[in-house]
Amino acid sequence: MDSGTVLHALNLAYELATLALTTLGLAIVFGLLGVMNMAHGEFVMMGAYAAVTVQQWGLPLITAVPLAVVVCGGLGYAVERWLIRPLYARPFDTLLATWALAMLLRKLVEAIFGRGYRNVESALTQPTLVLGSPYPVYRLALIVFTLAVMAGLFFWYRQSAAGLRVRAMTANPILAQALGIPTRRLASQAFVIGVVLAGLSGVLLAPLIRIEPGIGVDYLLDAFFVLVVGGLGTLGGLFGGVGIIGGAQAITSSIAGQTSGYAVVLMISIVFLWLKPDGLFSRR
Amino acid sequence: MDRRSFLHHTLAATAAGIATSAFAASPLKVAVLIPQSGPAGLFGPSSKACAEMAAATLNARGGLLGRPIELLFGDAGLAPAESAQTALKLWKGQRAEAFIGMHDSAVRGALVGLFKGQVPYVYTPVYEGGECARGTYVTGETPQQQLERVIPWLATERKPTKWYLIGNDYVWGRNTNAAAKGYIEKTGAKVVGDEYLPFTVDNFDASLARIRDSGADAVLVSLVGGSSVTFNKGFASFGLADKALRLGTLIEENTLAGIGLGNARNLYASSGYFANLDTPTAKAFAADYAKRLGANAPTLNGLAESTYEGFLMLEALAKKAGSLDVAKMDAVAQGSTYSGPRGTVTLQNRHAEQDIHVADVTDKGFRVLKTFAKVGAGQSCKV
Repeated sequence: MDSGTVLHALNLAYELATLALTTLGLAIVFGLLGVMNMAHGEFVMMGAYAAVTVQQWGLPLITAVPLAVVVCGGLGYAVERWLIRPLYARPFDTLLATWALAMLLRKLVEAIFGRGYRNVESALTQPTLVLGSPYPVYRLALIVFTLAVMAGLFFWYRQSAAGLRVRAMTANPILAQALGIPTRRLASQAFVIGVVLAGLSGVLLAPLIRIEPGIGVDYLLDAFFVLVVGGLGTLGGLFGGVGIIGGAQAITSSIAGQTSGYAVVLMISIVFLWLKPDGLFSRR
Repeated sequence: MDRRSFLHHTLAATAAGIATSAFAASPLKVAVLIPQSGPAGLFGPSSKACAEMAAATLNARGGLLGRPIELLFGDAGLAPAESAQTALKLWKGQRAEAFIGMHDSAVRGALVGLFKGQVPYVYTPVYEGGECARGTYVTGETPQQQLERVIPWLATERKPTKWYLIGNDYVWGRNTNAAAKGYIEKTGAKVVGDEYLPFTVDNFDASLARIRDSGADAVLVSLVGGSSVTFNKGFASFGLADKALRLGTLIEENTLAGIGLGNARNLYASSGYFANLDTPTAKAFAADYAKRLGANAPTLNGLAESTYEGFLMLEALAKKAGSLDVAKMDAVAQGSTYSGPRGTVTLQNRHAEQDIHVADVTDKGFRVLKTFAKVGAGQSCKV
């Protein structure tokens, strides 16, 4: 392989990995609870600001991980308990409520950190040679890490008893409750895990991306397209959606420019909404 | 107190009040249009502070035409039609007598159409050139101003032979790169590629691969704000920072903070103002800004500072014309001059001839390497 092909292949892998990472939290919350969390992107944003914060305190970047877990987890628990739980089975109301939450979080971060751009420095963002092509080490690590997380999650969901209970809850919540599965606690845990994953993806991406209070909506949109294409509520759908959306965007962009890449994503989403509204892998 | 003595006292107090205010009775309302929402909203707080500093400075030396300045603020971060509505309310509703604008060109187009030369309007940010409307006075830098002298200077300093031009797909990005092409070819270098990206693009991998493949040793970055941040971070992480120099005409202090100093090797910025300019007036201005806004001050930058320049230009014009009447101001506009944080600025063809600085980036931020004195805006508005 020549170095140009290597570069394009790595870029494709990176695009897919970031997309999978930022979509995962939203997929869990939507798939398991049927809640479209419009504040998903804001949790990604808060994760990035956790990295900004520890950098300001002069701590190593890795300490942003516990910080993001505590902040996003605590907030996620409170939001599920007092905002989402009263609104289960009222999808449009949760949509509005979480959208309002998104605005609130944005303004809160603006008030604390200001509206200016922030940067998270990491020595690892510098390039190393991969098969003759310079590539940022950090991105390589991110790709590997994402693969590991996805594989781990897949086996946990398929093999573990907890995964079985979750599948029971999503398949038939009333029957699951009758069987003694604590669906309320499971739902709360699923929401917290979803937003914590969003926050962690923000921490991981922080050294690579533009950071300002408004970035959340970009991640929400991309994640939303993935779920439209992949279908809601299955891991297979998530992988399929990431592959189609991320792949189409990365390949079209490198051949015909980013405008075309974006247009292709929109067209694919429209076609799916029109012809296959349940996505590739529907659980219904 | 009986009624007679009450009246007596009140009248006396009122008379004393009139006598002690040296200013003429009516304050002069100046409307300041800055982005307070939207993507450019991050420049709102710093711009507002600079406008308030300008009003304080002018009022301390007797106001404008002997009247104390009262500021009105309007949001110009909205769509052009909405921003024009805001301006109309400030103009006809609240009786603003002059406008200072620091916002994008689409809003400027709407305002020029609204004002029709009936009220003085000073437009202050970096922009693409070409605004010749009556009663509109431009103090911001144009592409010609920022590149005509800088590109030949870079050519002698760094000897680039292949330039790649990238920009956001709108009038400023395209005009800047179009102007640059001519200057680059005059230095004997080649333009090996140019491309324009929508504001929504958040992944520049494909462009970076093209730049790498083009073998460019210089890149003109005419991307704005967040696009510029993402692009420049990616540029450095792919190891391109050591292969090619970068030049930008809108890389100000906020954008640099987003890019990160470590990602800004061989990055040059060309501007009429940097927050750390080493002249007495600029230093005093920056110190005043820091004192006024305290430790958590939004980063001082050239766009925000331009609103201050706008007030100084308005003052110079009004003083020379003895009025805020557009016809009278237009008549004296040519050659109107003032001295401020940017040094001596002179109006030529309703644009500002001013000093232009080139800076690179060290671990302490921008470092001005070269200053070109009194560079014209390269505009040919009939006066």
